[in-house]
Parts: sequence; C-alpha cells; structure tokens
Amino acid sequence: MKHVQLYIMLLFLFILAGCNEQAFTKINQHQSFVASVNILEPSITFFEGTEEIAKWEFEKAYTGALLIKKDQILLYGHQLDEADLYELSTGKKVQTIKSGIGTTNAYYDEEQERFFFTNSESNTISSFNAHGKKLEELQLGNYPMSMTSHNGKLYVVNYKDTILSVIDLDLFEVEDEWEIEKSSNGMIILPEEEVVWIGGHGEGSKPNQEIDVYNIKTGELQSEINVSLMPIGFSRKETTVFVVNHGSNELFALNLQGKVLWNMEVGANPFVVATYKDYQVVTGYDDHKIYFIKDRQIQKTIETNQGPFQLLVREVVK
Amino acid sequence: MKKLSTKIWGLIVLFLLVTITFMYVLTEYLYEQLYVEDTEASMVEVGEKLRTKYKGGKVTDQFILDVEEFNTYSNFDVFAVRNPRELSACVPFDIDYDALIGPNERKELLQGNSITKIGYEERFERQIISVILPLTDQSRLEGIIYLYYPLAKISELANKEVFLLIGCAIIFSALLGFFVYEGIRHIMRPLKELQEAVEKMSNGNYETRVIVSSKDEIGKLSEAFNEMASSIEREDEAQKNFLATVSHELRTPISYVKGYCEAIQQQFIEGKDKDEAISLIAREANRMERLTNELLELARTSNEQNIELYPIVLSETIRDAICLLEKKSAEKNIEIKTNFDEQIIVEGHEEKLKQIFINTIENAIRYSNNDSTISILTKIMNGNAIIEIIDRGIGIPAKDLPHITERFYRVNKARSRADGGSGLGLSIVDQLVKQHQGNVTIKSVVGEGTTVSITIPLMEE
Repeated sequence: MKHVQLYIMLLFLFILAGCNEQAFTKINQHQSFVASVNILEPSITFFEGTEEIAKWEFEKAYTGALLIKKDQILLYGHQLDEADLYELSTGKKVQTIKSGIGTTNAYYDEEQERFFFTNSESNTISSFNAHGKKLEELQLGNYPMSMTSHNGKLYVVNYKDTILSVIDLDLFEVEDEWEIEKSSNGMIILPEEEVVWIGGHGEGSKPNQEIDVYNIKTGELQSEINVSLMPIGFSRKETTVFVVNHGSNELFALNLQGKVLWNMEVGANPFVVATYKDYQVVTGYDDHKIYFIKDRQIQKTIETNQGPFQLLVREVVK
Repeated sequence: MKKLSTKIWGLIVLFLLVTITFMYVLTEYLYEQLYVEDTEASMVEVGEKLRTKYKGGKVTDQFILDVEEFNTYSNFDVFAVRNPRELSACVPFDIDYDALIGPNERKELLQGNSITKIGYEERFERQIISVILPLTDQSRLEGIIYLYYPLAKISELANKEVFLLIGCAIIFSALLGFFVYEGIRHIMRPLKELQEAVEKMSNGNYETRVIVSSKDEIGKLSEAFNEMASSIEREDEAQKNFLATVSHELRTPISYVKGYCEAIQQQFIEGKDKDEAISLIAREANRMERLTNELLELARTSNEQNIELYPIVLSETIRDAICLLEKKSAEKNIEIKTNFDEQIIVEGHEEKLKQIFINTIENAIRYSNNDSTISILTKIMNGNAIIEIIDRGIGIPAKDLPHITERFYRVNKARSRADGGSGLGLSIVDQLVKQHQGNVTIKSVVGEGTTVSITIPLMEE
C-alpha cells in the first residue's frame, strides 16, 4: 500500500515537473529572425536567413503575437481571456496577463513599460503594467483593432466603425477622432511626409482598391493611392513602402509620395509583408507558404503551418 | 368487447394506411433524390465545361461576360465571381456581411474540390440547389463559377399533384376498407354459426349440427364440432340407457324379494314352499350384491387412469383363475383343457389380470352346455402374449358381436336372469385389458361356440 502511494506521489511529481518544464526551443539572443505567426495550426515558425530554426506549437488558439524588448513574445487570442508572455532566450512562459475575451490586438509601450490591449467585445483599449496588473480602460469605437504609435500618440483603427481614435499615451485619453472608411485595416505612419497611410478590405461586399492618405496633424484625407484589391499589410524599408493586396495576391512597392515603383503577384491570400535583411517577406494565408523576395524575384518559398497571419522580425546588429 | 372481425379489419386498414404513407414518403424521397441528383449532375457538367474557358491567372472581364452570356441560354442560373470579399478572403478578419461562400467552403474550394449545396440561400431568398466550382491557379482562389437552380420549382410541381395524390389515396383506402370488411364478414360467418351452435349445445340441445361449407380451418373446426356433438349425443344416450338398465336390473330382484317377503309375512306360503321362497330371496339378494360389486368395479376401473404394471408369469395367473372357478365348472361337468407357454411373462397387475380371466372363463362356463370342454391356450405373437379361451357353447349372433362389450348388453334379453350374468362382465374385461394396453377380440359362430382372444404386451426386455 505504501509503495502504491509512493508511486502515485512520484507520478504526480513527474507530471508537475513536466508542466513546469514545458519549454520551447530557445532562440539565441544574438540571432536575427523572421517568424511567422500561424493561427489555423497555432504556432510560430522562426527563420534565420531563409532557414527554419525553430517551431513553437501551441495548445491555445492564439490569434496574434507581438515582439517585445527583443527577447519576449506576447501571445494573445480573440477567444482567450488571457495573454501569455514568453521569453525567447529560454523558451519559457514568464507571465500571464488577464486581457479578457475579445482581444484583437496588443501594443507595448517601451518607455512606460505598459501593455495595451484592444477589445472587440467591450470596444475598449486597456492598459496593463509590467506585472500584468490592469491600470486603465478607455472606451473606443466599434471593434478597435489596428494600432500604431508615433510621438507619444497611439492611433487605433475601429474596424467596424468609421472612426480612427487618436490616444494620448501619457494622459491615456482620446485626443482626436478622424473620419475613415469602414473595414479599414492596416496602417503605416510616414513621419517625413507627415502622413498616415490606411488600408482596408472595403465596406460590405465591395472590395477596397485604395490606400487612404491622412494628414497626421489634422486627420484630413489628403489623397488616395490607387493600388490593387484590399491593401491591408504595410512595411517600410528606407524610402520604399511595401503593401500587400490580399484580394489580388499582389505586392506593391511605392515611394513615400505614393508612386507605384513596381508590383508583382505573390502567395495566395497574403495578409502581411515584412522587411527582413534584404528581403521582403510575404506569407500566403491560403497556401501557407512564406515567400522571400529580393530584387522583385521570389528567392525562396517555404512551407509553414496552416494560417500564417503575422510576421515578427528581429534584426540584431552584430 | 370488440369482435374478432373488427380487430382484423382494423389491423388490415392500419397496415394499408401505413403502406400508403410509406409509399408516399418513398416516392417523394426517390423523386427528390433522382430529380435533385440529375439536376446536380447536369449542373456540374455545365460548370466543368465552362471552367475549361478559364486559362489561369486573374479572372478576366471576358470570362465573366462569357459566363453571363451563357446564362441567358441556360436552364440554370450561372455566374462567375472574382470579388475576394464574396469569396470570404477576409476571414480570419471578422466579416459583417454575407459572403457568397463561407470560410469552410473556401477551404474546400482551395483544395480544388467543387461544392454542391441544397437549402435556403439568403441571397436568393429561396431554396436552391447550387454547385460551386473553383477557379484556382497555384493554390490561389481567383474566382468561382456559381450555378444554381431554384428548388421551389420542384416542390411547386409536386404540390399541384399532392392533393390529387392524397385524394386518390383516401378514396382507394375507403374502397379497400369496405371490401376488406365485406370479405372478413364472409369468412367469419361460419364462425358465428359455430358460436351459436355451441350455445345451443351448452343448453342441452345435443342434436345441434353445423353446415360444413368450406375445407379451411373453420371448415375443419365445424367438422370437429359435429363429431364432438355426435360423441356427446351418443354418450348422453349411453348414460341414459345405462341408468335405465341399472334401475331395471335392480328393480326385478327387489320386486321378487319384496313379493316373497310379503307372502311369507302374511303366511301365504307354508312349509316346503316357504323354504324355497327363502332360498329364492337369498339368491336374488346375492345377485343384487354381485351386481352392485360389479358396478363398483366398473366405476373404479373407469376412474383409474394409470395403474402400476409389473412382470407376471401369465400361466400362473390363469391357473389361479381356473382354480377359483373349478366348483362352477364341476357343477356343469365341464372339462377345462389348457395349453400354456410357460415362458410368457407379461407386464401386468396381478389382481386385475386375474379378474380378466375369471370374467372370461366364467362367461365361457355360463354359456357352455353341460359335459362340454373349454380350451385355454397361450402363445406369443408379434411381441404380444395371446390368450385364447375357446368354448363349445351357444355362440353369439354376428349382429350382437360389436356390442358385446357394452354395459348390460345381452344377446338374449329374455334369458337375462336365467343364465345368471349381469351383463357387465365383458365390459369390465374390456376396460381392464385396455388398462394393460391390450385388446380383446371375440369370434363366434351360433351353436358352435365362441373364441375370446386377449392380447397383452409382453414384458420389455
């Protein structure tokens, strides 16, 4: 009888130990990488150069990820009520934040060491401190999602609304609201031009074919850049802005003034583009492939897990 | 309490209704299946032909126009779609409009499979059969060909017919129900007659018979009823006769006894005559005693169902019987000759077996003339022991032979008391032999004598 108890005890300890020790492949701090966040088979695939170096596969249905302070990844899910923070160099979970169900996007403010989560259930943005304690909450428009920051301000696109909310990060209050198109998604700020480019899917069943250019100071619609179908993914390298059009499977390269430099077909239903080293990296959501593009040519295509939805880039200068 | 015919009728009508319902549902199902399948197949065929016009890459305006043009000549509604919003390209982003295809269908189409759907479609506000074929290029879903056909047209078509169908079904059911009812009534009529006859029988009307008009189960039942009725009637008759005979048999000696007793009491008879009268009274009393004993014996044997049988040496038992009757045979100076197979052992009950032989031999002595012989012999034949008792007596007329074992049956009614028999002896023999699983046969020639053969099964080795 005593033996049985001992065995059960040992078994329990093993299980406990197993739980605690669950760690993913470590990513060296001095290693550059581009990582694809896959949501149909929840996972992150890390590539250095064009080689896969690690694959983290999750049990939880994460729908988004954010790279923080170069060595941490914050993972959140629309149907999960908490977000998890993993350390890349150890491969271990270091913190859990009660973000609440309905999380659509996350942003990290390095100066103040604060996390921000937009929520589509409550249509709010909430801030949390480094220990995961909820600080404040702010009511926004319908379905806040895309976020980007500039000069102490956070720009939040309300996806199912016609409002972009400009939030003062110090005061944590809505400073301004701009009128934008419905179903807007994806944006990039070009400071030297003092403009914000905002992409989108289009309202209802009508696909959007333009990038709207807003004045960053006034919030006025300055111009429209004609591209292809549904430009929603943006990335910038020096003076070139790359835009993916997921409706037409096209990658556009534009100068800062919005002039189209070149365009090419790539991937199947690409949602995201990133610049990594000399490459433009595009993921195909439908064909679950990652494309490495250089000099307007696809250099390499790599199969990844199903549903690549986001790209994380870390470039370590040696 | 429902009649049997009503129950059967109800059951048949129920089955009928179930069958009609089943047939209706089956027809509907088959119709829909075949029609829908056929429509589906031709839609897929048309769709695939149209798809050959797509050469890869972006879906061109020309292709959309071509499909539209085809649509004007086609039975089905056909259109091509290339708008990614309609193709659910924005999922996983939350979409707040109705796309033409859902995320799961998109997944299926991406793999190059076509989709067929049957059901209500919000966009067309009606039930449709639809076939969706993907236009894919390098795992990109560039567009789809959407073919549909309103299902409503099919059900509208069926609806017109449905009332006629239901009407026909009702009339058919009613007609069939009526004929089935009449048929059952016809079949059931003999049963009703039989029931009435049984009622009459139980009221004591034993001559009731039914007319047998068919050879089916009911006909056989009627025949069996008639036979049963005859048996009961016969038995009833025999019972009545028996009672009459018993009372008659008892009344005669009683009147003798009564008459002589009164005569002696009033001293009408004196001296020698008186002695004779007293001995007559004693004789009649003996007769009555014997009669009642035999009646008792008869009643007992008819009540006994199974008697215990055990091995018995046959010749011993017969010798015992002869021994008991020696006095009677000596009175008439009758010689009893025997020829026994000493090996015979039968399954029997000793007392009853002895009774069989006593009765038979006594009968033989009674009806034999003085100074004659009686032969008794035993032999084995076909696994049975045969005992033959042969006398040279007066014999029995052929017409009386079949009735000889009936109770109180006498060949010579007038001689009844003169020969001293009660008329029960052979009845008892017959019953006892039957208890031994044997049988009795009697052959006789008038004036020459009688041979009684008793067959009793041998002991099984």
